[in-house]
Formats: sequence, C-alpha cells, structure tokens
Amino acid sequence: MAQPGMFVRKASGLVRSWSVFDGFVYAFFSINLVTLGFFIFSFAPYIPEANLLTAIVISGIFIIFEVFVYALLVAVMPRAGGDYVWQSRILGGGIGFVLSVTGWAWILWHWVPLYGNMLAYNVFTPILGILSGWTGNTGLYNAASWFVTTNGFFVSSLVVIVLAFIYVSLGMSWYARIQKFCFYLGMAGMATMIIMMLASSRADFIAGFNQYATEFFAAGGGDVYQQILAASAEGGYAAAPINRIAIGASLALIPMVVFFNLWPNWGATLYGEVRGASDFKRNFWSMAAGLIATTILALIVLGLIARVIGWDFYNAANFTFYEGTSPFGVFPYPALLVSFLTDSPLLQMWLLISMSAWFFGWCGTVFLSSTRVIFAAAFDRILPEWMARVSTKYRSPVNALLVMAVGGVIVSAGMHYTENLETYALNSTVVIAVTYFGTTIAGAILPYKDPDLYNTSPIARLKIFGLPLITVTGAIFGIFLLFLFYMWTTDAVYGINEPVSYIYMAVLYGISIAIYYGSKMYRRKQGINLDEIHKSIPVE
Amino acid sequence: MTTIFFATDVHGSEICWKKFINAGKFYNADILVLGGDMTGKALVPFIKDAQGKYKVNFLEEEMLLDEEGKLTMEKNISDRGYYPINVTDDEYDELNADSEKVEQLFVERVLLMAERWVKFADEKLAGTGIKCFVCPGNDDMFELDDVLASSKTITMSEGQILDLDGYYEMLSSGWSNPTPWDTHRECSEEELAAKIEAMASKISDIDRCVFNLHAPPFGSGLDEAPELDENLRPKYAGRSLIPVGSTAVRDAIMKYQPPLALTGHIHEGRGIKRMKKTFVVNPGSSYEQSTLLGAIIEMDKKGVKKYVLTSG
Repeated sequence: MAQPGMFVRKASGLVRSWSVFDGFVYAFFSINLVTLGFFIFSFAPYIPEANLLTAIVISGIFIIFEVFVYALLVAVMPRAGGDYVWQSRILGGGIGFVLSVTGWAWILWHWVPLYGNMLAYNVFTPILGILSGWTGNTGLYNAASWFVTTNGFFVSSLVVIVLAFIYVSLGMSWYARIQKFCFYLGMAGMATMIIMMLASSRADFIAGFNQYATEFFAAGGGDVYQQILAASAEGGYAAAPINRIAIGASLALIPMVVFFNLWPNWGATLYGEVRGASDFKRNFWSMAAGLIATTILALIVLGLIARVIGWDFYNAANFTFYEGTSPFGVFPYPALLVSFLTDSPLLQMWLLISMSAWFFGWCGTVFLSSTRVIFAAAFDRILPEWMARVSTKYRSPVNALLVMAVGGVIVSAGMHYTENLETYALNSTVVIAVTYFGTTIAGAILPYKDPDLYNTSPIARLKIFGLPLITVTGAIFGIFLLFLFYMWTTDAVYGINEPVSYIYMAVLYGISIAIYYGSKMYRRKQGINLDEIHKSIPVE
Repeated sequence: MTTIFFATDVHGSEICWKKFINAGKFYNADILVLGGDMTGKALVPFIKDAQGKYKVNFLEEEMLLDEEGKLTMEKNISDRGYYPINVTDDEYDELNADSEKVEQLFVERVLLMAERWVKFADEKLAGTGIKCFVCPGNDDMFELDDVLASSKTITMSEGQILDLDGYYEMLSSGWSNPTPWDTHRECSEEELAAKIEAMASKISDIDRCVFNLHAPPFGSGLDEAPELDENLRPKYAGRSLIPVGSTAVRDAIMKYQPPLALTGHIHEGRGIKRMKKTFVVNPGSSYEQSTLLGAIIEMDKKGVKKYVLTSG
C-alpha cells in the first residue's frame, strides 16, 4: 500500500525548512556566555557553598522544558509574534498586554544599564587598558579607568542605546548578517582563549597576572594574585572547591544563573507553511542546541579557568571586586585575565577584540523584541498609533525606538547615579520570567482552552502518559519558574525582596495596567471595544 | 459613516471563510471585502485499505482511521485550508506520476469549495443588506472568477471600479508583482502598474476611492517577508526580513493618494501604514490556525475615521 503524502501546488509562502544551524546561532547568542554568563558568574561568591557548574547544569535541564513549551507553541501558532499574541489569544487581551509589554518592552529599559556595564567591563576597559599599557599613553589608561566609573557606565549605556538604534534601523536582514559575522569572530576568539588556557599553567598565569595587573592596570605591585586571595579571606570568603557537586546548596545559585541561560527562546519564530512535527523538531533543536552547546562551553571554560587561573582566585577576584577590596581595580573579565598569559600585544588585542564580538553580535536584542511588541500592541489600538510609525525614508521604527531609548536613558541614569546597579540586576530576569510564566500557563492549558486550534495543529499527537506534551512540559517548566519566584522573593541575596525592588517592578506593571485600562476607556469613547479584538467570530 | 470589514488570504480555510461571512453581523460592518488568495495549497489523500480503514498523512503524521475518524480528520484538514481527497492506491500512484492530473484535481477541488462557499454566503448574507466584495489573488486560478460571479450576494471585483456605499468607489486587483512561486496572477511591475493605472485613471474623485490591491506597497513595512535563498529556504532561520511588496502599488498610492488602500499577500506583514494621505492596511493572515485576521475600518466623508485590527 502506498504511503500517502500531500500533493502541494505552486503557491505563495511554500518555503523549505530553514537551517537549524542558523536558528542555533541566534539561541546561542541569546544565552550569551561571555556577556550574560561572565557577568552573573561574578556574583557566585555571594552563595559560597554553591557550585556554579552544578547550578548551570541543573538549570539547563529545566530550561529544556521552556524550549519545549516555546517550540510547541510556535508550531501551533507560527508567525504569531510570540508571547503577546499567544497570551492574548489564550489568556485574554489584558493579561497578554500587561505581561508582554512589561516583560518585552519596559523591563528592557532596565537591561540597558546592564548591557552598559557589560560593554564597559568586557570591551572598553580591557581594550583601552591593554592599549595604554603597550603604548604608554596615559590618556588611554584614564579612559579605561573612567569607563568603570559612574559616568563611564552611563556613557556605555548610551553607546548601547545608539548601537541598538543602529541595528534596529538597519533592519533584521542586516542584523542577521552582522550577528553571523560576530558569531564566527566570537567563536574564533573563544577558540583562542581556550587554546591559550590549554597551553598554559597556573604558574604562567600568576606571573602574567602579577606583571600586567601592575604594569597596565596599576594594581600596586608585588604578588597581586596572593593579595587578592588574602583580601578575599579577610572578607570572609573562600570559594568552595569546583569538584564538590553540592546539589542542595547549588539550587540557591540557580535564581542567579538564569540571568544567563533563561533565554534560548528569545527569537522563537517560524515562517512559511508549517508542514508538521518536523517543524516543531527543527525549532526545538535550534533552541535546545543553543542551550546545550552553551552549557557545555560554560563547563569547559570554567573548568579551564579553575585549572589555569585558579578557582579560588577567580571567585576571590570577583568577590573582592564587588567588595571594593581588590588591588586589581577592573572587572575580572576572563578574556582579560587570559590575555595576561601572553606577552604578544597582537595576540592580546586579537583576543579582546574577537571576544568583544560576543557583545556586538548580541546587543541589538535589547530593543529588537521590544519594538515588535510595541508594534503589535499599537496595531491592536492599546498603545497609540504613533508608536508604530516607521520612517519612510529610513524604514526605521523611530518612535518605538525613541520610547525604548528615552526609557533606557532615564533608567540608566537612575540605576547608575542613585543606586547600586548590581543590587537590582535580577529584577531584569524576574519580570521576563513572569512573562514566560504567563506563556507557560497559556501553553499548558491550550489543548483544553482551544481544542479546535490544538487538534488541527502538528503537535496534537505528541503526548506523554496520554497527556499533551505541551501540558506536561508546561507544568514542569511552570514549577521551575515557581521555584525561582519563591527563591527570589524569600532570600535577600538576589536583591529582589526589598521595598525599592518591589516598588520598581510594581511601577512597571502599573504603567502597563494603566495604559491598558486607560486606552480601553479611551477607545470605548471612540466606539472601539478592545475586548472584541481577540474574540472568536462565530462560525455557523 | 460606513464600516468595512477587510480580511485576506484565507487560503482554503473553510472555517476562516465562514468567519469572514459572519464578520459583518459580528462587527456590525456594512461592507465585507476579501482581498484574495482564497484557495488552498495542498490536497490530502485518504487511501482506503482492504479492511475499510483510511490511511492518511496529515502534518507528517501517519494515521489509520475508521469512518468516524475520517470525518473528523476531513473537517480538520478543510479548516486548515487543505483539500481532503478519496483515492485508491492505484489512483494515488497515478497522481504521483502525473503533475497535470494533480493540477486538474486542484482546480476541481477549488471549484467545489468555491461553490460551497458561495452557497454559504448566499444563505447568510441574503436580506442582511451587507455588501460583500471578493477579489481573487495571485494564488487563485482564473476558473474561480466565474463561480464567484454566480453568487447572488458576492460581487467579484477583479479589475473593476465598483460602488461601495453610494459615496466611495473601490478599484480592485488581485494581481501581484513576481513571486518565487510563479503563481496564477502575477506579472511584472510594469504590467501591474498598467493594470492599476487603467482603473485609477478612470476615477473621477480620488478622495472618494478605495484601492483594493492584493500586493502591499514596497518598503511600507506591510511587505516584510523572510529572505529566501535560491532553494526557497529562509535565510538566517527566517530572521532576515526583507521588503517584497510591489513598487507599482507603492507608486500608484503615492501618485493618487486615495484615502484607503486595502492590501494583503504577505501574511507576516500585519499592520497599518500612513503614506501621505493614504491609510494602508494589511491585516495579515493566520488561516492555518483557523483564525481570521482582519481590519474594521470606519469611513466618513473625510476618509478613515477609525480602525482596529482584529483576530477573530
């Protein structure tokens, strides 16, 4: 008997499957080891009993279920526009707007100063510092030092805004190309870093660090390596051994680690006709491969750091940096530390410049998704139409970008000048996790809330123990998110459960709720009922 | 004040068609406009075996169904915009070997569908006072036009200037600029410009005219689609979006500046755009999810008074 297949005619939109590798690149950059990873790993000493590697692996296992939920939803509702449309359709327009616009737009204002910090820590200060050392130019050294001052961070945040503005204005076709170029350049840098560590010993590092920390970064001279370890011990911190798995203690580190690896779904999209389950698999594997590869890479790099730089030293350097007791006054960015393994200025510069591609290939994400959500909400008449206006001349969503840029400048100024930014770093993750929670609930209940849509989708037959796969994976990921919420709200170490943090997040949600109900009333006066936008039209 | 409900690109979805016809009452619209691409893209064969079971492959899932299961699956397939067909093993092999026969079968199924849809529209719209305009799009074969023209309630609007509400007129064309798929109603930009010009030049008062053009204007943001490589594979995992709209449509809108232009064609391009005096809309399409994306547009004598994009 024949195996029946569909007969397809020539018709618009019948495209072939895209390359999983291209999808992988996007996911891989979204959970960016060098920017997000190295930044949040530096806070690990604040949970001293935990093992960073264990936390990365356990969180990665649970985030696989997030990948399931998003890949399954994309297969049911491709081209839909992500969280905003999924939530609006399944949970209702009000919930969809409030959760999505807060989690995909307003909270990105908060990410701008964090990106600014990473730009200063990973790019400006290391490159200018090394350049100044080799050229003897004190102006460059002053610039390197200035970028880690309050004004320097603020200016770095402004640079992030300008870069994001340029990327979004160039459009996705250019950004995709820039990102791929940066992927290859960044991977070349990462390979260089790994090879340099493989080819070196702890003694090489100690000698190089003491030399360059003193000569290029004014660390004061002597055995700076030991001074940092001593300062850390004096501050009451000693790193737990890297080979102590410490599963129980490491759970407490997961709410920090997700700052880095919760985002493999960042660009979950699917275009063209959905042919079937293979499209789900394709989407799943592009995101899952990004998560798995990044997790493995993180383990390799941290393992090599432990071998060459020293696990106790790496953590002590981070601890003393934040405590202000380190003689080495700059962020212990691993690529900078590794650059001290060579005396070649060219190799040092190559390493730092190529590793900076991890930042430049990634930083456009700060506004790209925001502008999409703003557009969708403006077309739904919740946000004003002017926000979705596109410049005819430059084909750029100028107003949406301005909303993000102005908010980003205000929040950056507020965070850099009035508070200790790092204290509230995790607010950025909490608000997006709440949005993900909404989408996870939407996915889990989809088979029961909208059986017609679900049953005609390519995932309808994917089941575990007789239950829809999306419900089971949604439940598991939902429980994981609830664990994160519990930890964030009950332990002070994350900087969430304090009044300023709650007020800050409440203001963001308040803005969204006020806009939703305000525009609902305003539109009603105009004769537009926003409740009808997502209501299903009767069929018979 | 006139209220228009505009939708487009239902691509064979039975459920979306029914929603479109019912949208007039649901949204209190006076006029329904369907912008084209009514026809589905795939035939899904059911092959009966010796035990009376039906073998079918839908969305890459092999299934063996009894009569009841077959009925449910046929509905699911129709709602998604595909055409279920009953064939024997031999007929299946025959179709597999002969693309002309497949094309012929497509035409048959499309016409059957169109007849069914017209009947549904005539039943639902008769006596309601709701006007309904349908203009086939680039994916629609020419045989469809006669079936639509046979309806008592639907006006087939391709290539015509028609009265909308006694005040506004509407010119329509479902033709598009060239696509990579070599579809039924596509032509060069020059030819498309000539088709539009032939109608637009006859409009006596452009301020009282609606352009109903399937292809969106080039570079408007309503025409952003995934960039494809030479094998029709989306580049950069579909993240590289490029404008693929029509320069002829863009130039016509910029030249004539009608108050409203209704467009579609690019399912991802949902949105609105103001091009000088013209309000341009592409409601997008999610037909495979059985969701009818649309636009409710209220017009007074000054033009578009208000609008809202819907997902119903």
